[in-house]
Amino acid sequence: MTMRQGLAGGLVLVLALMAPLAIQSDFWLGFLITILLFAAMGMAWNILGGYAGQFSFGHAAFFGTGAYATSVLHIALGLNPWLGLLVAAAAGGTMGLLIGYLSFRYGLRGSYFALITLAFAEVLRILANTAGFTGGGVGLYLPLNIGVANMQFAGKAGYYYVALGLALASILIAWRLERSRLGAWLAAIRENEDAARALGVDTFACKLAAIGISGAMTGVGGWFYAHYYLYIDPEIAYGPGVSVEILLVAIVGGLGTVLGPLLGSVALHAAGELAQRLMGDTPGLNLIFYGVLLVVMVRLMPDGLAGLVRRWMRPAGGTQRA
Amino acid sequence: MLKKTSMISRRRVLAAGAAGAAVGAFGFPAILRAQPAAIKVGVLHPVTGALSYSGTQSRAGALIAIEEINAAGGIKALGGAKLEAVLADAQSRPDVGAAEVEKLNEAGVAAIVGPYASAIALATTQAAARHNLPHIVDVGTVDQVVTRGLTNTFRFSPGVSKIVQSGIDGLERINNAAGKPVRTVMLIHEESAFGTNTAKALNDELPKRGFEVLETIKHANPTRDFANIVLRVQARKPDLIVPSNYYNEYVLFTRALRQQRVQVKGIYSILGGGASSYKFVKEFPDAAAYVMDCNHWFDPRKAGALALKDKTEKAGLFFTYEVVLNYNAIMYLADALERGRSIAHDALNAALASSTWDKHVLPYGPTKFVNGQNTGAQPAITQVLDKDIKVIYPLEFASGNAVFPMPTPRG
Repeated sequence: MTMRQGLAGGLVLVLALMAPLAIQSDFWLGFLITILLFAAMGMAWNILGGYAGQFSFGHAAFFGTGAYATSVLHIALGLNPWLGLLVAAAAGGTMGLLIGYLSFRYGLRGSYFALITLAFAEVLRILANTAGFTGGGVGLYLPLNIGVANMQFAGKAGYYYVALGLALASILIAWRLERSRLGAWLAAIRENEDAARALGVDTFACKLAAIGISGAMTGVGGWFYAHYYLYIDPEIAYGPGVSVEILLVAIVGGLGTVLGPLLGSVALHAAGELAQRLMGDTPGLNLIFYGVLLVVMVRLMPDGLAGLVRRWMRPAGGTQRA
Repeated sequence: MLKKTSMISRRRVLAAGAAGAAVGAFGFPAILRAQPAAIKVGVLHPVTGALSYSGTQSRAGALIAIEEINAAGGIKALGGAKLEAVLADAQSRPDVGAAEVEKLNEAGVAAIVGPYASAIALATTQAAARHNLPHIVDVGTVDQVVTRGLTNTFRFSPGVSKIVQSGIDGLERINNAAGKPVRTVMLIHEESAFGTNTAKALNDELPKRGFEVLETIKHANPTRDFANIVLRVQARKPDLIVPSNYYNEYVLFTRALRQQRVQVKGIYSILGGGASSYKFVKEFPDAAAYVMDCNHWFDPRKAGALALKDKTEKAGLFFTYEVVLNYNAIMYLADALERGRSIAHDALNAALASSTWDKHVLPYGPTKFVNGQNTGAQPAITQVLDKDIKVIYPLEFASGNAVFPMPTPRG
């Protein structure tokens, strides 16, 4: 990291910390909370999909498991929501290890791995619909009890800082991973798994570590969602909508980059809001506009927004101008 | 030239003075006095996504009511202020619904009406509560909508416990009146909150009323092939089938029952997706014949209800309970604005909570709010008779006589 990048990062962090003081609008604070939450989960997806090259279409499996773990224990045993964070991380991570073990053990890669993750999320959705302790199709309502100890804040600022903490933690994890030996092994697996194995990389263990970390981080996203909205049901928790949104954030932002998911989350949610404001009065038109915008973004920026930023920041006389 | 136009003659001053006096005396007070600012009302529904049909119907009902109120001179207690709908789309998602509440609050709405689905209502009422912003829940039947102590949340229509209770009471009375032809029941329900909740309540309650539940079958959403479920029904031979599912599944299931010529004494649903639907009756009259449903419905004896039905159909829409409930939710809000004479949140919440408004077009008892729930709200039991939907229970609202057990299908 250069001095200039460090200063820029520091400035952004200070601005982010001051945002609730400057922004009086609950709507815009809520908007930022959503951006930060999906940035954190997009980063989680990026560790598995971007760094390790294992595309998952079923991250809802981890999101939902984290959300249900904290909610069920909070309702049944009165588990403190702050402790629920650890439980959600453990549950999401364990689910990641389980799915990873079953998939990687039998050599599933590429589209087969993507499909099996989708299938796992769908199986979990059906199980959550059937099981009694998840509330079945009715879902779970977390009791309304405002207080910092219950992770229920009177205003949005409290939630904002928690979401900011999650996003920063996820960036830090990705940044450390990128510079670690595991990060190098994952990159080697992404580029050529057979070659990596030939060079002595334990590909099975590395991929398992990636999905475990990714699952734990996504589980924490589920924890935040459950305590923010105080309601989950099988469709919200394990439905394909969450999986798609998480992977879109990472893909649009830039695969295998530290800041990509954050940029992707900002761009996607800004595009969604813009579409809503421009065409919200005609039902569905905003979603069509959003879809077209998405296609254009992916078409024009194949290496994501992070790639675009990298090209801009490249010094004059670089390869682009040659 | 400039100078010339600025010169005012004595005659002109006198003329202007006389004109001013005339206006003051006989006046155009209505023109000269500032028009009161419009009262913004948040109309929040899921008009895109999985619930878009119901959301669109709901929005239509709310807009018809606003149009009628404005045409009748607006809110008279507030100087004839017009209502202005601020439309919002929850996209069939609770999180989007909650974000839309923030947007509506910042747009300066006096109250929010919506958002049809229970899961969305839980999120939107909670978001509105942070601003003490009055929120009238149009449908959102789950009990938790009004049991969390939110002082800004009001539901004019009945909750699911009341509907299920009324549905079971009604079934027992109709069965008793017909000489108890039904003894055994099969429940067919969809997998989400609504179907699961209803099936659980029926499984708990029906045995206490002397009915035997032979089997409960859950199906996924969507389900397009009901052949196996119908075969199961044929094998168990229940007297009564109780389906709890959404419109498409309801229609496909009842059509499959008729196609397989399943002989039962009745099809009775609680909050049935298709049974109380003119669309179903019009498009599949054979499958719809004699089905009964305990659901939100209008009072067929009231001229206002029939006028609303007429207006809705002229707009090219089917007249559904979503239209009726949203129409009434806006009218209930307008009444509270008239009585409260204020759009301040506290005053409006107080006026909504103390409402005894009785000019609705619903088959309800006296309006009285307890913890945000209108205790006079109740569902009606309908039956498809002569290709029309008739209210058969409660008897004081009935427009037709129950045909029970249903005649055996011919052919």
